[in-house]
Parts: sequence; structure tokens; C-alpha cells
Amino acid sequence: MKLLKKPKILLAIILFGTLGIVGLAGGALGDAFGLGFLGAPIAALQLPAEPITSKPNIGSFHITNTMITTWATIVILLVMSFFATRKIKEVPSGFQNLFEVVIEYFQKLGVGVSGKRSAQFIPLVITIFLFIVLANWIGILPGFGTIGWIETPHEAIHHAEKKDKELSKVTLNIFDGSGNVGVLGFGSVSETVTAEEWEHDHDIVEDGKQAGILIPFLRSANTDINTTLAIALVAMFFVHFWALRSLGFFAHAKKYINIKQGPIWFAVGILELISEIARVISFTFRLFGNIFAGEVLLVAMAFLIPIIGIMPFLGIELFVGLVQAYIFSMLTLVFASVAGAAHDEH
Amino acid sequence: MEGDVASLGAGIAMGVGALGPGIGIGILAAGAMQSIGRNPEAVGLIQQNMILAIAFTEAIAIYALVVAIIIKFV
Repeated sequence: MKLLKKPKILLAIILFGTLGIVGLAGGALGDAFGLGFLGAPIAALQLPAEPITSKPNIGSFHITNTMITTWATIVILLVMSFFATRKIKEVPSGFQNLFEVVIEYFQKLGVGVSGKRSAQFIPLVITIFLFIVLANWIGILPGFGTIGWIETPHEAIHHAEKKDKELSKVTLNIFDGSGNVGVLGFGSVSETVTAEEWEHDHDIVEDGKQAGILIPFLRSANTDINTTLAIALVAMFFVHFWALRSLGFFAHAKKYINIKQGPIWFAVGILELISEIARVISFTFRLFGNIFAGEVLLVAMAFLIPIIGIMPFLGIELFVGLVQAYIFSMLTLVFASVAGAAHDEH
Repeated sequence: MEGDVASLGAGIAMGVGALGPGIGIGILAAGAMQSIGRNPEAVGLIQQNMILAIAFTEAIAIYALVVAIIIKFV
């Protein structure tokens, strides 16, 4: 027990212990005992990205919250790159140093995987890595998924009826005030009302409050299948582009439509063609599944144990974001180097 | 039965879908540990290839997760 005598460790244990108990009591578990003073009802999660305004923005096209996050990521990357390349020094420091670490690592990896041809692959690989890692890490910042605009119950019921959902299953949260923008407030864990109840009796919501569903303004970019599909399509397009450029059209097509070596190799060629499509799907869903599951996990943990429940999962999210970016870019590199290699003799 | 069949389906999809990749990643990591034990110099190479292989197997579990989420939320 000598460890407990050191004041810093004792202080840390007491701090986390109290935060833990306060969090447990204040969250959803405590709400069952009537104590939910810190929590908020679970955020409405849905698979497709949500638009940021109720009316369409350009023609009939909605700008979604993942689009805004993607643009923000791009702007941040551009600003960082600008500062990194402004005054290039022989002995780097600051942003230049950071970028040099990444670039050197991938150059070494590229040379290890495919030798001299890696120079044409590396820019795309590093771009994919930097974009995905930054997009994942930005998605953990506070404000993502918690601040948003309030969808009025009319619209919520309209959407639910379009999808044939039962109205007793649509829960509306209750917000203070009457503005358009809201946050899920403290202590509002059980302040929810189902849409059916609201329809029966509009006065179930007290004066000065309004019912609605919170639609966040910001959502992590890779939780949208469109983003991950776009990155996957670009990656596989370039893999084939580089292979065509280095091998020529017929040598590359012969790998997939393999007439000369007999019927079994023809079937193998067709399977390879199918596996190219499977790679696009696999890229998309690997990244999407990891990041979306992380977001759902964070929302669920923040709902259950408000203050400290989310801390270990934020750490996991940091790690998973980095690993998924690394895996995506490394797989692109490996596929590019394999596709560009000449067809082996069987 | 309380709740609807969709929740049950989502639970079973994820549960059964995590069995295979779990065992697969265990076998991969065991192989990697053994080869690191035999040849400590090649740690970097083994680690990189292990992570690549684990990414492939974990993707299968992620497919199951996506199916579960789609069943539950869509």
C-alpha cells in the first residue's frame, strides 16, 4: 500500500473516484433512481448523414453535416501544409517536422514494398493517410454530435411516416427556450416524449419549452458511407490507372480475362475481377464500420456514465482513427504495387 | 416478447459475426508472437505484416457490425 501514500496518486484516485460516482449517479443509470441530474437523453443516431437545415440548400440538394466536417478537414490540412512549407529549413521544426515524419515513414514503407516504383504511389497514399487520420481525430472534439438544430415535431412525424415507422417509437426530446439551435441540456435524461403522445396532446410540453429532435451540425466525416466510398473509389481507380500506365492495356487486362491458359485460369481471372469490386466494398465498410461504431459507442457511453465513462473510449477512438488511416493507406500501397507487377508465370 | 425482432436480429448478427474474426485474430497474433520470439531482429517487418493481416480479418467483423446496425436502425 505504499503507492497510496504518495499524495499525487491519492489525489488522482480520489478525483476519478468522485467523478465516477457523480457520473454514475447523474447519468442514465442514476436516472432510474431519480437522480439523473447530469445526463441527457440518448442522441438520435441514424445511418445516413443529416442535413443541416430543414429546407434544401441548392436546388433540392441538402448540405449534410458530414460534408461540413469534410470541408473543415480539408481546410485544416491546407492550412497546416501552408505553414509547413512556408520557410523550408534544413533542420526542420514545427509543422515541417511533423510532415517530414509522415512522409519519411511512408517513403521507407513504399520502398520496402515496391522498390523504385513507389515514388508515383506515395503522394496519394500519404494524402489518404493524412485526410483520414485528421478527419477521425477531429470527430472526437467536443461539439460534435451535441450542438445542433432542432427539428420540429411536425417534420419529425412527417419523416417517420414517410418511412412507415410507428409513431410511438419516435422519441422527441424537450428543449428549453424556443430558438432553432439547441443542445441536449443537463438533467434531461427522462425528458422525452414520444411522438404519439405529442400528437395526441400538444400541451404535454410545458410553456417555454419545445419538443423536437436534435440534429447535430457536425458529425465525423467518415461516418458517412459516401465519404469512405469516395476515398475507396479514388484509391482503386488510381491503382488500376498506375497498373495500366506501367503495364499497358493488354498486359493488365490479361490478368483478368485470361483466355490463353485454359478454363480454370479463366475462372481465376473472373474471380480476380470480382475481388477488385470486393476491395472497394471492403475499403468502404472497414473504415465506415470502425468510425461509425466508435461514434455510436461514444454516444452510448456518454449517455450511460456522463463525465468519465467516455474517457477510455476517447482513447480507443484516437488509436482506432490512426490505425484505420494507416491500414487504408497501406492497403492502397500494397494493391498498387501488386497490380503493377507483371503477371507471374503459373 | 418485449422489444422487436429487429433488436434480436441485430444482436445475433453481431454476436455470431464476431466469433470467426476473434479466433482468426488470436491465431494471427499467436503466430506473430512465436516468430518474434524466434527472430527478434525482424520485429518491425513482422509487426507491419501482422497489422495488415489483422486489418483484413477485422474487416469481416466490421461487415457483421454494419449488418447489425442496418437491421437495428434502418
